[in-house]
Amino acid sequence: MRGQSHADARAMLPSLAGVPADRAEERAALVALADWCRRWSPQVALDAGADGTGDGLEGLLIDVTGVAHLFGGEEKLVADIYRRLGKAEIPARIALADTAGAAWAIARYGRDEARVIAPGGQRAALAALPVAALRVNAATVAMARRLGLVRIGNLVAMPRAGLARRFRGGGSKGGGSKGGGQGDGIALVRRLDQALGIEPEPLVPLDPPPRHIVRAVFAEPLLNADQVANSLNHLSPLLARQLEEAEQGARALTLAAYRTDGRVVGLDVRLGRPQRTPGVWRRLFAEAGLGRIDPGFGIDALTLAAGIVEPLSAIQAALDGEAEAGAERLSALIDRLVARLGTRAIRAARPRASWWPERAARFVPAQDAPAIAADADPGRARPLLLLDPPEPVEAVVYGLPEGPPQRFTWRRVARRVARAEGPERIEPEWWREKRGRALRDYWRVEDEEGVRYWLYREGLYGRAAPDEAAPSWWMHGLFG
Amino acid sequence: MDAAESPVDALWPCPEPLLEEVAAAGPRDRAAGLAFALARVPEGDTRPLLFVLPGDWRRDWGLPCPHGIAAPEFLIVLPRRAEDALWAMEQALRSGACAAVIGAIEQATLTQTRRLDFAAREGGAGAILLRRHNDGLSAARRRWRIAAAPSTPHPLTEEALGAPRLRADLIRRRDGAPGSWLMEQEYASGRFAVADRLADHGPPSAAASERAGRAA
Repeated sequence: MRGQSHADARAMLPSLAGVPADRAEERAALVALADWCRRWSPQVALDAGADGTGDGLEGLLIDVTGVAHLFGGEEKLVADIYRRLGKAEIPARIALADTAGAAWAIARYGRDEARVIAPGGQRAALAALPVAALRVNAATVAMARRLGLVRIGNLVAMPRAGLARRFRGGGSKGGGSKGGGQGDGIALVRRLDQALGIEPEPLVPLDPPPRHIVRAVFAEPLLNADQVANSLNHLSPLLARQLEEAEQGARALTLAAYRTDGRVVGLDVRLGRPQRTPGVWRRLFAEAGLGRIDPGFGIDALTLAAGIVEPLSAIQAALDGEAEAGAERLSALIDRLVARLGTRAIRAARPRASWWPERAARFVPAQDAPAIAADADPGRARPLLLLDPPEPVEAVVYGLPEGPPQRFTWRRVARRVARAEGPERIEPEWWREKRGRALRDYWRVEDEEGVRYWLYREGLYGRAAPDEAAPSWWMHGLFG
Repeated sequence: MDAAESPVDALWPCPEPLLEEVAAAGPRDRAAGLAFALARVPEGDTRPLLFVLPGDWRRDWGLPCPHGIAAPEFLIVLPRRAEDALWAMEQALRSGACAAVIGAIEQATLTQTRRLDFAAREGGAGAILLRRHNDGLSAARRRWRIAAAPSTPHPLTEEALGAPRLRADLIRRRDGAPGSWLMEQEYASGRFAVADRLADHGPPSAAASERAGRAA
């Protein structure tokens, strides 16, 4: 029973097994179920609970406005939800009404045979239900009971102002230990009005539904990836036409496959520039792994949605047609590589204006990279390859404490320095560093075989405080 | 310069889009190999450069430094698997969006290298494989072996580094005789030219024999 302590329950039934609640796990499971429920309507919200302060694990609210006729009416829609949840072995209580409040009350307190409330019928349907069905806190329910208001029908007839005043602040001793807080007349009136449909109650959907979405529902579940690819071929032109009418192009597409076992598998592709060419989409989906999609025991619905859209009017060739075509080819190439290898696998260099070598040499995912590279030329010799992270150099022999190394060992090979250039002193950027860093003296060094290195000494000889580490040598790069 | 003067001039810079292989003579010559590969990219092509660098390259040799490379714009592909590396390289070549694709791919069969060669010609892009060795079968049109060489003496001081030099051995080519050259990087352009034709650097044979002694 809800609110009962574990010790009390154990006292009543000694063999009771106790399992600690894992709220994060429960939430993840409910969100996954909510995703799956989008097969009926794009607007699915987590229920915030009785007094609006819960963490959203009480249930799901689906806005089916304008949706029911697709499933042959409200009765059939509810039956369909029952049937599919039952197939996936998910126990559920479902109610459908004009308002979220009424549906909430009927689902929890209503009779089994009357779960679909006809339009405008919520006043009659709610009259016989207890006040607790109004999503108010326990203190308010207790107080209403003391006032002899047991059923919602008792409240409906009462003047709102008096009702709100009567409950204000008076529930401090009636709250009990578990109800939390005071009786709240304002909330009671608001919940009542919301349930009756006098006051609007907008749902906050889990994700804002995409504006451009097409769907296909199958009488016979799809059993392999080829069939999914086939129906994607039918869906993409539909979505492309929708986008064309809105003069939009897709930057991100999501293909969601609703499986009969109550799970959703999906594929996302992202595009570097807005597109509405079905052929391009299909190829990106193929590279993102359409062939590897797992249909489980069958897929009975597919949706294709354009999650991010950008204006794309009729193709206009720029005056510089050649460059434009090149940029388009490049962005198409990046999209294809990203679809198969992931966003982080394709990087573009975007140097930053910094003297600190690690910070200056920066790479960002190519799809998000701004078109024009920032020119941050340090004006100094920089190596061809920058090791990340720098590698320790051992057995350094040097002539002068601040001079170049004469011999050193790197990667277990001893090298003798023939020529050296430097130092180039780089001070740490104290306004960016979290903790103190030593300065670096960089040397360009060539060994006897002609291999050119970029190495540095961190810290200074003879200047370190007693508690600081002695200077150390590091290999940071190689010149060609 | 007269093309007849030295046969390497006809090869410089890479005159047509095809697959080349650049191997390092030893592990320490990998950076020299990369510098040579970069110099093989045709000049004046505004398309970006693309590197395909699998995980082991990144671990051992890091990433190309944006300030150390003359190319104005470049992209890096970091594939996890070897077959993805080949696939990415072929896609990039075929798309025609890149001036050249430089890939550090060790395992490639004859068929796979032939595919790369076709893709390079289709997209009009140079394809360069950076490898540890180049003694296996390959469809590459030219196979180079690169070793670092001591730089040119600095005109003002003995201690400082002069112009970088490397030894380029063309060990196999489809359309002519192989050869071996000591090349020197020009400071302004970053290009390599045959060192023995530049002034005051002495005959390349000395460096070549020195080099041979080291290899032995």
